[in-house]
Amino acid sequence: MEIEHEETDAFMNVALLATALLNGVVTGMIYALLGIGLSLVLGLLNIPNFAHGVLYALGAYFLISMAQAWLGFWGSMLLAPFGVAALGGLIEYAGVRRLYGVHPDYILLLTFGLALVLTEVIVLIWGPVGITVLPPPILAGGVDLGVTFYPKYRLALMVVTLVLVLATWLFIEKTKYGAIIRAGIEDRDMVNALGINIRRVFTVTFATGAGLAGLAGALVAPVRGLLPTMGIEILPFAFVVVVVGGLGSLPGAILGGLLVGVVQSLMTAMWAPGADIVVFAAMALVLLLQPQGLLGKR
Amino acid sequence: MLGIDTQRPHAFLAFTALVAGLMLLPLVMRPIIAADICVFAIAAMALNLIFGYTGMLSFGQATFFGMGAYVSALLMIHASANLYLALLAGTLAGAVTAAVVGYLCLQRVGIYFIMLTFAFNQLFYFLAYKWTGLTGGDDGLPGVPRPPVTFGTLRLPLDTSVTYYVFVAVVFFLVFYVMKRLVESPLGMICQAIRENPERAAAVGYHVKRYQWLVFTIAGAFSGLAGVLYAMMYGIVPIEAIFWVTSGDIVFMVLIGGIGNLYGPLIGAVVLRWLSETLSVLWHRWPLLSGTFLIIVVLFLRGGCVEVLERGRELLARLDMRRKEAGYGVAADGETDEKF
Repeated sequence: MEIEHEETDAFMNVALLATALLNGVVTGMIYALLGIGLSLVLGLLNIPNFAHGVLYALGAYFLISMAQAWLGFWGSMLLAPFGVAALGGLIEYAGVRRLYGVHPDYILLLTFGLALVLTEVIVLIWGPVGITVLPPPILAGGVDLGVTFYPKYRLALMVVTLVLVLATWLFIEKTKYGAIIRAGIEDRDMVNALGINIRRVFTVTFATGAGLAGLAGALVAPVRGLLPTMGIEILPFAFVVVVVGGLGSLPGAILGGLLVGVVQSLMTAMWAPGADIVVFAAMALVLLLQPQGLLGKR
Repeated sequence: MLGIDTQRPHAFLAFTALVAGLMLLPLVMRPIIAADICVFAIAAMALNLIFGYTGMLSFGQATFFGMGAYVSALLMIHASANLYLALLAGTLAGAVTAAVVGYLCLQRVGIYFIMLTFAFNQLFYFLAYKWTGLTGGDDGLPGVPRPPVTFGTLRLPLDTSVTYYVFVAVVFFLVFYVMKRLVESPLGMICQAIRENPERAAAVGYHVKRYQWLVFTIAGAFSGLAGVLYAMMYGIVPIEAIFWVTSGDIVFMVLIGGIGNLYGPLIGAVVLRWLSETLSVLWHRWPLLSGTFLIIVVLFLRGGCVEVLERGRELLARLDMRRKEAGYGVAADGETDEKF
């Protein structure tokens, strides 16, 4: 009897551990998407976008509104990120652009102001209470993975984010436009001197970063639900991902995202109150031992 | 007297206006709001020291403000610490936290430094939020007393909001004086050199990081002091004391008052508190308004209130000129202002 008990306990522990790990990967991929967007804008425009979190929240809110209004889940999932990207482009065009000549601190303060305002706008339009979103019927329910029973939607999310992250990477590394962005990160004046409209590249990059944040928010909506403060809550973690991974490094953002996600999830399973604290402690450790981040060059 | 140069009429005038303003403040508004303004003005002065005078924007000043508030409140509640011990402990808590956080954040420069101060603010917020047994978490830490001022056998209670305002105003005045001396000292000059050009300051032989760390720690001490006054003022430490929105408010005060100006933080605190008091009657969701103001200030009024005064004077001068021109029958053509 005793031995049997121990065996079930051990099995339970393995199941818990597996679930925590899988959850960590799901969260980690979302962090990676956020981190890539943040890192792109940070690298090219030299600003930490404090509105990145609220753009992520807006992705989720656009998703539910579009789904309710006229599009189904899939149509909204495709369109919501573009809505957020358009808003990002507008923010760059109407606001950030006016401040390129002055100290970068002002752009940061502008994005901070936008974060406050847009969070309140979410409360005004969608209300202060949380909203739950159901995954589409085809992805409802779970799958038996042998060790544990896991929701279908999260597995699909893992695959989709992996594809998206790889696609973004290929876009940056292999396409002409990606080459321009990378060149801009290295030396924006030189790119400008070569006859490329760097201003337009800035707008497109800012919009892309916003779109990636919106995409992350829309994808995560059926997992975490919606709350006006969801953007503000995730923002420091996105910062940690970029700092830990290495600034301006896309593989770094992916590695950082996965690390933060998995550490957070495993800690939640072991000792929930310490989960968020451990993430920041880990960041402090990385800063002390490897100030340029795990994969950063600068 | 007090290091104020009476030979310079401007400085003397400004100083007189400060004293008069501090005396008038509780007459034009509720004393507790006046005290609130002084408390936040101290926190804003601390940020002004590192942001305005040394060029390091910290987005995590609530960390040290909140640490000062929590540490002193816990000492007063559980160990019935007297006023001086509470003030000292809160100031030290702010300084020590700032020394640790500053050391880590200074591993990076520029915008990454800012992101790190923000991220560490979140770390301390989570600590306070989760450690409910000690801090009360989301509900706040209630029951903070206001110990009396003792001076030998003299005992001055601070139980009314007027006496508390007087106490806070005196502390504010002392902090202002220390700040003034600090900014004008050789250390202050080095800080301003670092703000203007860190590479050159390093080339001249100053250890830039060490000075930045020192100033960051000093600012942390003052933020902690403001935190103690805040905790005693309302008798409770709400979780907001250590929340990033408070950090943002402090940045906003410095910005709206005018960066790198000794009087800026007080002006900023007055404007922000006055705005939030009057406008929250019209609109109870304050962040929407403060965010909007921040955007407007950043886009159009980067010099803060000091710049508004300048612009007003320029405008008056131009109007005057136009009137004269019109008087001579000359059409005043649209003179464009390309200054910013």
